[in-house]
Amino acid sequence: MRRKTSPIQSILIGGIMFVALLWVLFPFYWAFLNSIKKPADTFRAGAWIPFLQFQPTLEHWISELSIIEIRQALINSTIISLGAATLSVLLGTLAAYALARFRFGKSGNSNFTTWFISQRILPPVVVVIPFFLIMRQLQLLDNVFSLVLLNATFTLPFPVIILSQMIRELPPELEEAAYVDGASVFQGFTRVVLPLILPGLVATWIICMAFSWNEFLFALSLTTKSAIPMPVIIAGAEHTRGVQFWFVGVRVMLTMLPPIVFALLAQRYIIRGLTLGAVKG
Amino acid sequence: MAATDSTKPQARRSDQTKFWFLGPAVVWILVFTIFPLLYALYTSFFSFRFGKINQFVGLANFGRLFTDANLHNGLRVTLTFVIITVTIQMLLGFGLALLLNREMRGKNILRAIMILPLFATPVAMGYLGITLFYEINGPINELIRAFGGSDIPWLSNPFWAQVAIILIDIWQWTPFVFLVSLAALQGLPADLFEAAEVDGASGWQSFRRITLPLMAPVLWLILLLRLVEAFKVFDIPTSLTLGGPGRATEVYSLFTYRTALRFFDHGYAAAQGFLLLLIVSLIVGLLFGRIRSIYQEERN
Repeated sequence: MRRKTSPIQSILIGGIMFVALLWVLFPFYWAFLNSIKKPADTFRAGAWIPFLQFQPTLEHWISELSIIEIRQALINSTIISLGAATLSVLLGTLAAYALARFRFGKSGNSNFTTWFISQRILPPVVVVIPFFLIMRQLQLLDNVFSLVLLNATFTLPFPVIILSQMIRELPPELEEAAYVDGASVFQGFTRVVLPLILPGLVATWIICMAFSWNEFLFALSLTTKSAIPMPVIIAGAEHTRGVQFWFVGVRVMLTMLPPIVFALLAQRYIIRGLTLGAVKG
Repeated sequence: MAATDSTKPQARRSDQTKFWFLGPAVVWILVFTIFPLLYALYTSFFSFRFGKINQFVGLANFGRLFTDANLHNGLRVTLTFVIITVTIQMLLGFGLALLLNREMRGKNILRAIMILPLFATPVAMGYLGITLFYEINGPINELIRAFGGSDIPWLSNPFWAQVAIILIDIWQWTPFVFLVSLAALQGLPADLFEAAEVDGASGWQSFRRITLPLMAPVLWLILLLRLVEAFKVFDIPTSLTLGGPGRATEVYSLFTYRTALRFFDHGYAAAQGFLLLLIVSLIVGLLFGRIRSIYQEERN
Protein backbone atom coordinates (compact mmCIF):
# COMPACT_ATOMS: atom_id res chain seq x y z
CA MET A 1 0.00 0.00 0.00
CA ARG A 2 2.52 2.55 1.08
CA ARG A 3 4.93 1.90 -1.72
CA LYS A 4 7.50 4.41 -2.80
CA THR A 5 6.02 7.08 -5.00
CA SER A 6 7.63 7.84 -8.36
CA PRO A 7 7.81 11.48 -9.57
CA ILE A 8 5.13 10.85 -12.21
CA GLN A 9 2.85 9.36 -9.59
CA SER A 10 3.31 12.30 -7.25
CA ILE A 11 2.45 14.74 -10.04
CA LEU A 12 -0.65 12.68 -10.83
CA ILE A 13 -1.68 12.56 -7.18
CA GLY A 14 -1.00 16.26 -6.78
CA GLY A 15 -3.21 16.91 -9.81
CA ILE A 16 -6.05 14.82 -8.41
CA MET A 17 -5.78 16.59 -5.04
CA PHE A 18 -5.84 19.96 -6.76
CA VAL A 19 -8.98 19.11 -8.74
CA ALA A 20 -10.67 17.73 -5.62
CA LEU A 21 -9.92 20.87 -3.62
CA LEU A 22 -11.11 23.11 -6.45
CA TRP A 23 -14.35 21.09 -6.66
CA VAL A 24 -14.91 21.40 -2.90
CA LEU A 25 -14.07 25.08 -2.61
CA PHE A 26 -15.71 26.46 -5.76
CA PRO A 27 -19.31 26.67 -4.43
CA PHE A 28 -18.12 28.62 -1.38
CA TYR A 29 -16.21 30.98 -3.64
CA TRP A 30 -19.27 31.48 -5.82
CA ALA A 31 -21.50 32.20 -2.79
CA PHE A 32 -19.02 34.85 -1.73
CA LEU A 33 -18.89 36.34 -5.26
CA ASN A 34 -22.71 36.55 -5.39
CA SER A 35 -22.71 38.50 -2.16
CA ILE A 36 -20.31 41.18 -3.42
CA LYS A 37 -21.54 41.59 -7.00
CA LYS A 38 -23.70 44.42 -8.20
CA PRO A 39 -27.04 43.05 -9.48
CA ALA A 40 -26.11 43.56 -13.16
CA ASP A 41 -22.87 41.56 -12.74
CA THR A 42 -24.65 38.50 -11.33
CA PHE A 43 -26.37 37.79 -14.62
CA ARG A 44 -23.34 38.54 -16.77
CA ALA A 45 -20.91 35.95 -18.12
CA GLY A 46 -17.21 36.28 -17.37
CA ALA A 47 -17.47 37.83 -13.91
CA TRP A 48 -15.31 35.47 -11.87
CA ILE A 49 -12.54 37.62 -10.45
CA PRO A 50 -13.30 40.70 -8.31
CA PHE A 51 -11.60 44.02 -9.28
CA LEU A 52 -10.37 42.56 -12.58
CA GLN A 53 -13.68 41.51 -14.11
CA PHE A 54 -16.17 43.39 -11.96
CA GLN A 55 -16.22 46.03 -9.26
CA PRO A 56 -17.13 44.43 -5.89
CA THR A 57 -19.51 46.10 -3.44
CA LEU A 58 -20.45 45.62 0.19
CA GLU A 59 -23.87 47.23 -0.16
CA HIS A 60 -25.81 43.93 -0.01
CA TRP A 61 -24.08 42.95 3.22
CA ILE A 62 -24.94 46.28 4.75
CA SER A 63 -28.54 46.31 3.58
CA GLU A 64 -29.17 42.67 4.53
CA LEU A 65 -27.68 43.09 7.99
CA SER A 66 -29.89 46.08 8.63
CA ILE A 67 -33.07 44.04 8.00
CA ILE A 68 -34.74 43.32 11.34
CA GLU A 69 -35.98 39.86 10.28
CA ILE A 70 -32.44 38.81 9.39
CA ARG A 71 -31.07 39.97 12.72
CA GLN A 72 -33.90 38.20 14.49
CA ALA A 73 -33.17 35.02 12.51
CA LEU A 74 -29.50 35.19 13.50
CA ILE A 75 -30.51 35.57 17.14
CA ASN A 76 -33.04 32.72 16.85
CA SER A 77 -30.49 30.41 15.25
CA THR A 78 -28.00 31.24 17.99
CA ILE A 79 -30.50 30.55 20.77
CA ILE A 80 -31.65 27.30 19.14
CA SER A 81 -28.17 25.91 18.54
CA LEU A 82 -26.71 27.01 21.89
CA GLY A 83 -29.72 25.82 23.85
CA ALA A 84 -30.11 22.50 22.03
CA ALA A 85 -26.39 21.67 22.18
CA THR A 86 -26.16 22.49 25.88
CA LEU A 87 -29.20 20.40 26.77
CA SER A 88 -28.03 17.55 24.61
CA VAL A 89 -24.51 17.51 26.04
CA LEU A 90 -25.83 17.80 29.60
CA LEU A 91 -28.15 14.80 29.25
CA GLY A 92 -25.72 12.94 27.02
CA THR A 93 -22.70 13.24 29.29
CA LEU A 94 -24.60 11.82 32.25
CA ALA A 95 -25.86 8.91 30.16
CA ALA A 96 -22.38 8.39 28.69
CA TYR A 97 -20.92 8.10 32.17
CA ALA A 98 -23.58 5.58 33.17
CA LEU A 99 -22.96 3.44 30.07
CA ALA A 100 -19.17 3.59 30.43
CA ARG A 101 -18.87 2.85 34.15
CA PHE A 102 -21.90 0.90 35.35
CA ARG A 103 -23.42 -2.37 34.24
CA PHE A 104 -27.09 -2.57 33.34
CA GLY A 105 -27.87 -6.28 33.34
CA LYS A 106 -26.29 -8.80 30.99
CA SER A 107 -26.39 -6.91 27.72
CA GLY A 108 -28.18 -3.80 28.90
CA ASN A 109 -25.28 -1.51 28.09
CA SER A 110 -25.01 -2.52 24.44
CA ASN A 111 -28.80 -2.49 24.10
CA PHE A 112 -28.97 1.04 25.45
CA THR A 113 -26.13 2.13 23.15
CA THR A 114 -27.88 0.66 20.11
CA TRP A 115 -31.12 2.30 21.22
CA PHE A 116 -29.49 5.70 21.41
CA ILE A 117 -27.84 5.22 18.00
CA SER A 118 -31.18 4.22 16.49
CA GLN A 119 -32.46 7.77 17.08
CA ARG A 120 -30.36 8.79 14.09
CA ILE A 121 -32.20 6.29 11.87
CA LEU A 122 -35.67 7.71 12.40
CA PRO A 123 -36.57 9.90 9.38
CA PRO A 124 -37.57 13.34 10.75
CA VAL A 125 -40.60 13.52 8.49
CA VAL A 126 -42.13 10.63 10.47
CA VAL A 127 -42.28 12.68 13.66
CA VAL A 128 -42.79 16.14 12.19
CA ILE A 129 -46.56 15.58 12.01
CA PRO A 130 -47.05 14.61 15.68
CA PHE A 131 -44.64 17.38 16.71
CA PHE A 132 -46.65 19.90 14.75
CA LEU A 133 -49.93 18.73 16.31
CA ILE A 134 -48.48 18.54 19.84
CA MET A 135 -46.80 21.95 19.64
CA ARG A 136 -49.99 23.47 18.29
CA GLN A 137 -51.87 21.99 21.25
CA LEU A 138 -49.27 23.40 23.66
CA GLN A 139 -49.30 26.77 21.84
CA LEU A 140 -45.58 26.37 21.19
CA LEU A 141 -45.75 26.88 17.42
CA ASP A 142 -43.44 29.67 16.23
CA ASN A 143 -41.49 29.48 19.49
CA VAL A 144 -37.72 28.91 19.59
CA PHE A 145 -38.23 26.81 22.72
CA SER A 146 -39.85 23.98 20.72
CA LEU A 147 -36.91 23.92 18.32
CA VAL A 148 -34.45 23.81 21.23
CA LEU A 149 -36.24 20.72 22.58
CA LEU A 150 -36.38 18.94 19.22
CA ASN A 151 -32.79 19.63 18.23
CA ALA A 152 -31.59 18.50 21.65
CA THR A 153 -33.42 15.22 21.06
CA PHE A 154 -31.96 14.55 17.65
CA THR A 155 -28.37 15.43 18.58
CA LEU A 156 -28.45 13.41 21.82
CA PRO A 157 -26.84 10.28 20.28
CA PHE A 158 -23.61 12.23 19.57
CA PRO A 159 -22.58 13.02 23.17
CA VAL A 160 -23.79 9.63 24.44
CA ILE A 161 -21.69 7.67 21.96
CA ILE A 162 -18.59 9.87 21.71
CA LEU A 163 -18.23 10.59 25.40
CA SER A 164 -18.97 7.08 26.65
CA GLN A 165 -16.08 5.91 24.47
CA MET A 166 -13.80 8.58 25.84
CA ILE A 167 -14.70 7.75 29.44
CA ARG A 168 -14.09 4.04 28.81
CA GLU A 169 -10.55 4.93 27.72
CA LEU A 170 -9.85 6.45 31.17
CA PRO A 171 -8.65 4.06 33.89
CA PRO A 172 -11.39 3.50 36.54
CA GLU A 173 -8.71 3.64 39.25
CA LEU A 174 -8.85 7.44 38.99
CA GLU A 175 -12.35 7.56 40.45
CA GLU A 176 -11.65 4.71 42.85
CA ALA A 177 -8.85 6.78 44.38
CA ALA A 178 -11.32 9.62 44.84
CA TYR A 179 -13.85 7.28 46.49
CA VAL A 180 -11.17 6.21 48.97
CA ASP A 181 -10.74 9.89 49.80
CA GLY A 182 -14.44 10.03 50.58
CA ALA A 183 -15.84 11.38 47.32
CA SER A 184 -19.36 10.37 46.26
CA VAL A 185 -20.05 8.79 42.87
CA PHE A 186 -21.33 12.11 41.59
CA GLN A 187 -18.24 13.95 42.85
CA GLY A 188 -16.03 11.33 41.22
CA PHE A 189 -17.80 12.14 37.97
CA THR A 190 -17.70 15.94 38.24
CA ARG A 191 -14.24 16.37 39.81
CA VAL A 192 -12.24 13.55 38.23
CA VAL A 193 -13.84 12.51 34.95
CA LEU A 194 -15.32 15.77 33.66
CA PRO A 195 -12.04 17.73 33.61
CA LEU A 196 -10.34 14.87 31.75
CA ILE A 197 -12.94 14.63 28.99
CA LEU A 198 -13.38 18.40 28.67
CA PRO A 199 -11.81 18.75 25.19
CA GLY A 200 -14.03 15.99 23.80
CA LEU A 201 -17.02 17.44 25.59
CA VAL A 202 -16.48 20.87 24.06
CA ALA A 203 -15.98 19.35 20.61
CA THR A 204 -19.19 17.32 20.96
CA TRP A 205 -21.04 20.44 22.05
CA ILE A 206 -19.76 22.23 18.94
CA ILE A 207 -20.83 19.37 16.66
CA CYS A 208 -24.32 19.44 18.21
CA MET A 209 -24.46 23.21 17.67
CA ALA A 210 -23.58 22.82 14.00
CA PHE A 211 -26.26 20.15 13.48
CA SER A 212 -28.91 22.22 15.27
CA TRP A 213 -27.97 25.31 13.27
CA ASN A 214 -28.33 23.43 9.98
CA GLU A 215 -31.64 21.71 10.78
CA PHE A 216 -34.34 22.70 8.28
CA LEU A 217 -37.43 20.46 8.26
CA PHE A 218 -38.56 21.10 11.85
CA ALA A 219 -37.68 24.78 11.60
CA LEU A 220 -39.75 25.12 8.43
CA SER A 221 -42.71 23.24 9.88
CA LEU A 222 -42.87 24.78 13.34
CA THR A 223 -42.10 28.47 12.72
CA THR A 224 -44.14 31.09 10.95
CA LYS A 225 -42.77 34.51 11.88
CA SER A 226 -40.95 35.51 15.05
CA ALA A 227 -39.08 32.21 15.64
CA ILE A 228 -37.76 31.76 12.08
CA PRO A 229 -34.06 30.77 12.08
CA MET A 230 -31.46 31.37 9.33
CA PRO A 231 -32.03 28.24 7.18
CA VAL A 232 -35.69 29.18 6.77
CA ILE A 233 -35.20 32.88 6.08
CA ILE A 234 -33.07 32.31 2.97
CA ALA A 235 -36.29 31.19 1.35
CA GLY A 236 -37.79 34.61 2.01
CA ALA A 237 -35.30 36.24 -0.32
CA GLU A 238 -36.18 33.82 -3.05
CA HIS A 239 -39.92 33.68 -3.15
CA THR A 240 -41.14 37.17 -2.36
CA ARG A 241 -38.82 39.12 -4.63
CA GLY A 242 -37.86 36.70 -7.41
CA VAL A 243 -34.34 35.37 -7.79
CA GLN A 244 -32.14 38.06 -6.29
CA PHE A 245 -28.74 36.42 -6.33
CA TRP A 246 -27.02 39.15 -4.38
CA PHE A 247 -29.34 38.90 -1.35
CA VAL A 248 -29.39 35.10 -1.55
CA GLY A 249 -25.58 35.28 -1.63
CA VAL A 250 -25.39 37.22 1.63
CA ARG A 251 -27.94 35.00 3.37
CA VAL A 252 -26.24 31.83 2.19
CA MET A 253 -22.94 33.11 3.56
CA LEU A 254 -24.49 34.18 6.87
CA THR A 255 -26.14 30.77 7.22
CA MET A 256 -23.16 28.62 6.26
CA LEU A 257 -20.34 30.43 8.02
CA PRO A 258 -21.09 29.57 11.67
CA PRO A 259 -21.45 25.78 11.29
CA ILE A 260 -18.35 25.68 9.10
CA VAL A 261 -16.32 27.55 11.67
CA PHE A 262 -17.70 25.22 14.37
CA ALA A 263 -16.68 22.21 12.29
CA LEU A 264 -13.13 23.43 11.90
CA LEU A 265 -12.91 23.96 15.66
CA ALA A 266 -14.03 20.42 16.40
CA GLN A 267 -12.01 18.75 13.61
CA ARG A 268 -10.39 16.04 15.71
CA TYR A 269 -13.69 14.58 16.83
CA ILE A 270 -15.72 14.88 13.65
CA ILE A 271 -15.07 11.47 12.13
CA ARG A 272 -15.73 9.80 15.47
CA GLY A 273 -18.92 11.83 15.74
CA LEU A 274 -20.25 11.28 12.25
CA THR A 275 -19.65 7.52 12.36
CA LEU A 276 -21.33 7.37 15.77
CA GLY A 277 -18.13 6.33 17.44
CA ALA A 278 -17.26 3.48 15.08
CA VAL A 279 -14.19 5.04 13.43
CA LYS A 280 -11.71 7.28 15.18
CA GLY A 281 -10.24 9.86 12.85
CA MET B 1 -32.17 -6.47 38.01
CA ALA B 2 -28.56 -5.37 37.75
CA ALA B 3 -25.90 -8.06 37.86
CA THR B 4 -23.42 -6.02 39.83
CA ASP B 5 -19.77 -6.76 39.59
CA SER B 6 -18.58 -6.95 43.19
CA THR B 7 -14.91 -6.51 42.31
CA LYS B 8 -15.55 -2.90 41.30
CA PRO B 9 -16.22 -0.73 44.33
CA GLN B 10 -18.19 1.84 42.39
CA ALA B 11 -20.55 -0.83 41.11
CA ARG B 12 -21.47 -1.68 44.70
CA ARG B 13 -21.91 1.93 45.72
CA SER B 14 -24.04 2.91 42.84
CA ASP B 15 -26.93 0.48 42.47
CA GLN B 16 -29.27 3.43 42.67
CA THR B 17 -26.98 6.21 41.49
CA LYS B 18 -26.44 4.77 38.01
CA PHE B 19 -30.11 5.21 37.18
CA TRP B 20 -29.84 8.90 38.03
CA PHE B 21 -27.12 9.18 35.40
CA LEU B 22 -28.87 7.23 32.66
CA GLY B 23 -32.46 8.09 33.52
CA PRO B 24 -32.78 11.67 32.23
CA ALA B 25 -31.57 10.82 28.71
CA VAL B 26 -33.79 7.73 28.52
CA VAL B 27 -36.86 9.61 29.72
CA TRP B 28 -36.04 12.43 27.29
CA ILE B 29 -35.92 10.07 24.31
CA LEU B 30 -39.11 8.34 25.43
CA VAL B 31 -40.92 11.67 25.67
CA PHE B 32 -39.60 13.17 22.45
CA THR B 33 -39.46 10.23 20.06
CA ILE B 34 -41.42 7.26 21.35
CA PHE B 35 -44.43 9.30 22.45
CA PRO B 36 -44.60 11.24 19.14
CA LEU B 37 -44.33 7.96 17.23
CA LEU B 38 -47.28 6.54 19.19
CA TYR B 39 -49.18 9.77 18.63
CA ALA B 40 -48.43 9.51 14.89
CA LEU B 41 -49.77 5.95 14.92
CA TYR B 42 -52.97 7.17 16.61
CA THR B 43 -53.21 10.02 14.08
CA SER B 44 -52.89 7.61 11.17
CA PHE B 45 -56.23 5.99 12.05
CA PHE B 46 -58.17 9.22 11.57
CA SER B 47 -59.09 11.44 8.68
CA PHE B 48 -58.52 15.17 9.09
CA ARG B 49 -60.42 18.10 7.65
CA PHE B 50 -58.99 21.59 7.95
CA GLY B 51 -56.51 20.35 10.54
CA LYS B 52 -59.21 18.97 12.86
CA ILE B 53 -59.84 15.33 13.57
CA ASN B 54 -62.79 14.33 11.44
CA GLN B 55 -63.49 10.64 11.94
CA PHE B 56 -61.99 7.25 12.66
CA VAL B 57 -61.15 5.53 9.40
CA GLY B 58 -59.30 2.43 10.59
CA LEU B 59 -56.64 1.36 8.13
CA ALA B 60 -57.96 3.43 5.24
CA ASN B 61 -54.97 5.80 5.30
CA PHE B 62 -52.64 2.83 4.98
CA GLY B 63 -54.77 1.49 2.12
CA ARG B 64 -54.23 4.73 0.20
CA LEU B 65 -50.47 4.05 0.21
CA PHE B 66 -50.99 1.32 -2.38
CA THR B 67 -52.93 3.35 -4.91
CA ASP B 68 -51.48 6.87 -4.72
CA ALA B 69 -49.54 7.52 -7.93
CA ASN B 70 -47.92 10.67 -6.51
CA LEU B 71 -46.64 8.75 -3.50
CA HIS B 72 -45.20 6.10 -5.81
CA ASN B 73 -43.56 8.89 -7.79
CA GLY B 74 -41.96 10.18 -4.57
CA LEU B 75 -40.76 6.70 -3.74
CA ARG B 76 -39.30 6.24 -7.22
CA VAL B 77 -37.56 9.64 -7.19
CA THR B 78 -36.11 8.95 -3.75
CA LEU B 79 -34.92 5.42 -4.65
CA THR B 80 -33.24 6.70 -7.81
CA PHE B 81 -31.59 9.47 -5.83
CA VAL B 82 -30.43 7.11 -3.07
CA ILE B 83 -29.01 4.45 -5.37
CA ILE B 84 -27.14 6.86 -7.66
CA THR B 85 -25.75 9.22 -5.01
CA VAL B 86 -24.68 6.54 -2.56
CA THR B 87 -23.02 4.40 -5.26
CA ILE B 88 -21.05 7.32 -6.66
CA GLN B 89 -20.11 8.62 -3.21
CA MET B 90 -18.85 5.21 -2.09
CA LEU B 91 -16.76 4.61 -5.22
CA LEU B 92 -15.38 8.13 -5.46
CA GLY B 93 -14.73 8.58 -1.74
CA PHE B 94 -13.08 5.22 -1.19
CA GLY B 95 -11.13 5.52 -4.43
CA LEU B 96 -9.74 8.91 -3.44
CA ALA B 97 -8.86 7.62 0.01
CA LEU B 98 -6.91 4.71 -1.51
CA LEU B 99 -5.04 7.12 -3.81
CA LEU B 100 -4.14 9.55 -1.07
CA ASN B 101 -3.33 6.99 1.62
CA ARG B 102 0.39 7.74 1.75
CA GLU B 103 2.84 10.02 3.43
CA MET B 104 2.35 13.45 1.98
CA ARG B 105 2.53 17.11 2.78
CA GLY B 106 -0.57 19.16 3.43
CA LYS B 107 -2.62 16.28 4.79
CA ASN B 108 -4.07 18.38 7.60
CA ILE B 109 -5.11 21.15 5.23
CA LEU B 110 -6.69 18.58 2.94
CA ARG B 111 -8.66 17.15 5.84
CA ALA B 112 -9.78 20.58 7.04
CA ILE B 113 -11.06 21.51 3.58
CA MET B 114 -12.79 18.16 3.08
CA ILE B 115 -14.72 18.72 6.32
CA LEU B 116 -16.29 21.94 5.02
CA PRO B 117 -19.00 20.44 2.76
CA LEU B 118 -20.19 18.13 5.56
CA PHE B 119 -21.22 21.12 7.63
CA ALA B 120 -22.39 23.47 4.88
CA THR B 121 -26.08 24.04 5.64
CA PRO B 122 -27.86 21.79 3.06
CA VAL B 123 -30.72 24.19 2.49
CA ALA B 124 -28.22 27.01 1.86
CA MET B 125 -26.49 24.74 -0.67
CA GLY B 126 -29.81 24.33 -2.43
CA TYR B 127 -30.27 28.09 -2.77
CA LEU B 128 -26.66 28.51 -3.80
CA GLY B 129 -27.39 25.79 -6.37
CA ILE B 130 -29.99 28.05 -8.01
CA THR B 131 -27.16 30.46 -8.85
CA LEU B 132 -24.61 27.75 -9.70
CA PHE B 133 -26.96 25.93 -12.07
CA TYR B 134 -28.51 29.10 -13.48
CA GLU B 135 -29.16 28.35 -17.11
CA ILE B 136 -28.14 31.65 -18.69
CA ASN B 137 -24.55 32.59 -17.82
CA GLY B 138 -24.49 30.50 -14.63
CA PRO B 139 -20.91 29.43 -13.80
CA ILE B 140 -21.45 25.75 -14.57
CA ASN B 141 -22.97 26.41 -17.98
CA GLU B 142 -20.24 28.98 -18.59
CA LEU B 143 -17.60 26.30 -17.92
CA ILE B 144 -19.39 23.83 -20.15
CA ARG B 145 -19.45 26.41 -22.94
CA ALA B 146 -15.74 27.13 -22.41
CA PHE B 147 -15.05 23.44 -23.10
CA GLY B 148 -17.15 23.60 -26.25
CA GLY B 149 -20.43 22.21 -24.89
CA SER B 150 -23.84 23.82 -25.08
CA ASP B 151 -26.00 25.15 -22.24
CA ILE B 152 -27.72 22.51 -20.14
CA PRO B 153 -31.30 23.22 -18.98
CA TRP B 154 -30.40 22.29 -15.39
CA LEU B 155 -33.51 23.39 -13.54
CA SER B 156 -36.19 23.49 -16.22
CA ASN B 157 -35.71 19.95 -17.51
CA PRO B 158 -36.95 17.04 -15.34
CA PHE B 159 -33.93 14.85 -16.06
CA TRP B 160 -31.30 17.55 -15.49
CA ALA B 161 -33.05 18.79 -12.34
CA GLN B 162 -32.55 15.32 -10.87
CA VAL B 163 -28.92 15.41 -11.96
CA ALA B 164 -28.46 18.80 -10.27
CA ILE B 165 -29.78 17.49 -6.95
CA ILE B 166 -27.64 14.40 -7.20
CA LEU B 167 -24.55 16.53 -7.95
CA ILE B 168 -25.03 18.70 -4.87
CA ASP B 169 -25.47 15.65 -2.64
CA ILE B 170 -22.35 14.07 -4.14
CA TRP B 171 -20.47 17.30 -3.50
CA GLN B 172 -21.65 17.34 0.08
CA TRP B 173 -21.15 13.72 1.15
CA THR B 174 -18.30 12.25 -0.91
CA PRO B 175 -15.85 13.93 1.53
CA PHE B 176 -17.52 11.99 4.35
CA VAL B 177 -16.82 8.64 2.67
CA PHE B 178 -13.32 9.86 1.85
CA LEU B 179 -12.44 11.04 5.36
CA VAL B 180 -13.80 7.98 7.13
CA SER B 181 -12.16 5.55 4.67
CA LEU B 182 -8.87 7.40 4.95
CA ALA B 183 -8.96 7.31 8.76
CA ALA B 184 -9.73 3.59 8.68
CA LEU B 185 -7.04 2.88 6.05
CA GLN B 186 -4.44 4.60 8.16
CA GLY B 187 -5.42 2.47 11.11
CA LEU B 188 -4.63 -0.76 9.23
CA PRO B 189 -1.51 -2.59 10.50
CA ALA B 190 1.41 -1.62 8.24
CA ASP B 191 3.41 -4.81 8.94
CA LEU B 192 0.78 -6.90 7.13
CA PHE B 193 1.44 -4.99 3.93
CA GLU B 194 5.21 -5.17 4.41
CA ALA B 195 5.00 -8.94 4.89
CA ALA B 196 2.89 -9.26 1.76
CA GLU B 197 5.40 -7.20 -0.19
CA VAL B 198 8.29 -9.37 1.02
CA ASP B 199 6.32 -12.42 -0.15
CA GLY B 200 6.09 -10.80 -3.58
CA ALA B 201 2.41 -9.88 -3.56
CA SER B 202 1.42 -7.36 -6.21
CA GLY B 203 -0.36 -4.13 -5.33
CA TRP B 204 -3.63 -5.57 -6.59
CA GLN B 205 -3.16 -8.79 -4.60
CA SER B 206 -2.54 -7.02 -1.31
CA PHE B 207 -5.53 -4.75 -2.00
CA ARG B 208 -7.78 -7.71 -2.78
CA ARG B 209 -6.51 -9.98 0.04
CA ILE B 210 -5.65 -7.56 2.83
CA THR B 211 -7.15 -4.09 2.37
CA LEU B 212 -10.64 -5.09 1.27
CA PRO B 213 -11.29 -7.78 3.91
CA LEU B 214 -9.96 -5.54 6.70
CA MET B 215 -11.91 -2.53 5.46
CA ALA B 216 -15.15 -4.44 4.85
CA PRO B 217 -16.85 -3.69 8.21
CA VAL B 218 -16.04 0.02 7.95
CA LEU B 219 -17.24 0.16 4.35
CA TRP B 220 -20.50 -1.53 5.31
CA LEU B 221 -20.91 0.98 8.11
CA ILE B 222 -20.32 3.96 5.79
CA LEU B 223 -22.78 2.44 3.31
CA LEU B 224 -25.40 2.01 6.04
CA LEU B 225 -24.98 5.56 7.38
CA ARG B 226 -25.13 7.03 3.88
CA LEU B 227 -28.23 5.00 2.93
CA VAL B 228 -30.08 6.06 6.08
CA GLU B 229 -29.21 9.72 5.56
CA ALA B 230 -29.96 9.66 1.83
CA PHE B 231 -33.49 8.32 2.43
CA LYS B 232 -34.16 11.38 4.62
CA VAL B 233 -33.36 13.75 1.71
CA PHE B 234 -35.52 16.87 1.94
CA ASP B 235 -33.55 20.12 2.18
CA ILE B 236 -31.86 20.24 -1.23
CA PRO B 237 -34.84 19.41 -3.48
CA THR B 238 -37.06 21.67 -1.38
CA SER B 239 -34.76 24.65 -1.83
CA LEU B 240 -33.23 24.04 -5.26
CA THR B 241 -36.18 22.86 -7.34
CA LEU B 242 -39.26 22.92 -5.05
CA GLY B 243 -39.79 19.32 -6.16
CA GLY B 244 -40.13 20.35 -9.79
CA PRO B 245 -40.26 20.73 -12.67
CA GLY B 246 -43.61 18.95 -12.31
CA ARG B 247 -42.91 16.28 -9.73
CA ALA B 248 -39.51 15.27 -11.14
CA THR B 249 -37.66 15.96 -7.87
CA GLU B 250 -40.50 15.60 -5.38
CA VAL B 251 -38.74 13.22 -3.01
CA TYR B 252 -40.64 11.16 -0.45
CA SER B 253 -40.11 13.47 2.53
CA LEU B 254 -41.16 16.50 0.52
CA PHE B 255 -44.34 14.77 -0.63
CA THR B 256 -45.17 13.77 2.95
CA TYR B 257 -44.39 17.27 4.20
CA ARG B 258 -46.79 18.72 1.64
CA THR B 259 -49.48 16.17 2.49
CA ALA B 260 -49.24 17.19 6.14
CA LEU B 261 -48.61 20.90 6.14
CA ARG B 262 -50.00 22.12 2.87
CA PHE B 263 -53.03 19.86 2.51
CA PHE B 264 -53.42 19.24 6.27
CA ASP B 265 -54.06 15.55 5.60
CA HIS B 266 -52.29 14.59 8.83
CA GLY B 267 -53.62 11.04 9.09
CA TYR B 268 -52.47 10.08 5.61
CA ALA B 269 -49.11 11.84 6.09
CA ALA B 270 -48.56 9.86 9.30
CA ALA B 271 -49.24 6.64 7.41
CA GLN B 272 -46.71 7.72 4.76
CA GLY B 273 -44.17 8.35 7.50
CA PHE B 274 -44.55 4.81 8.79
CA LEU B 275 -43.99 3.38 5.32
CA LEU B 276 -40.70 5.31 5.08
CA LEU B 277 -39.73 4.18 8.59
CA LEU B 278 -40.47 0.58 7.56
CA ILE B 279 -38.27 0.85 4.44
CA VAL B 280 -35.35 2.41 6.34
CA SER B 281 -35.67 -0.11 9.19
CA LEU B 282 -35.59 -3.00 6.70
CA ILE B 283 -32.35 -1.69 5.21
CA VAL B 284 -30.79 -1.21 8.62
CA GLY B 285 -31.94 -4.69 9.64
CA LEU B 286 -30.37 -6.22 6.54
CA LEU B 287 -27.03 -4.45 6.97
CA PHE B 288 -26.68 -4.23 10.74
CA GLY B 289 -25.38 -7.79 11.10
CA ARG B 290 -22.36 -6.85 9.02
CA ILE B 291 -21.32 -3.94 11.20
CA ARG B 292 -22.21 -5.37 14.61
CA SER B 293 -18.58 -6.40 15.12
CA ILE B 294 -17.39 -2.76 15.00
CA TYR B 295 -19.55 -1.74 17.91
CA GLN B 296 -18.90 -4.88 19.91
CA GLU B 297 -15.15 -4.29 19.97
CA GLU B 298 -15.87 -1.19 21.98
CA ARG B 299 -17.52 -3.05 24.84
CA ASN B 300 -15.56 -3.81 27.95
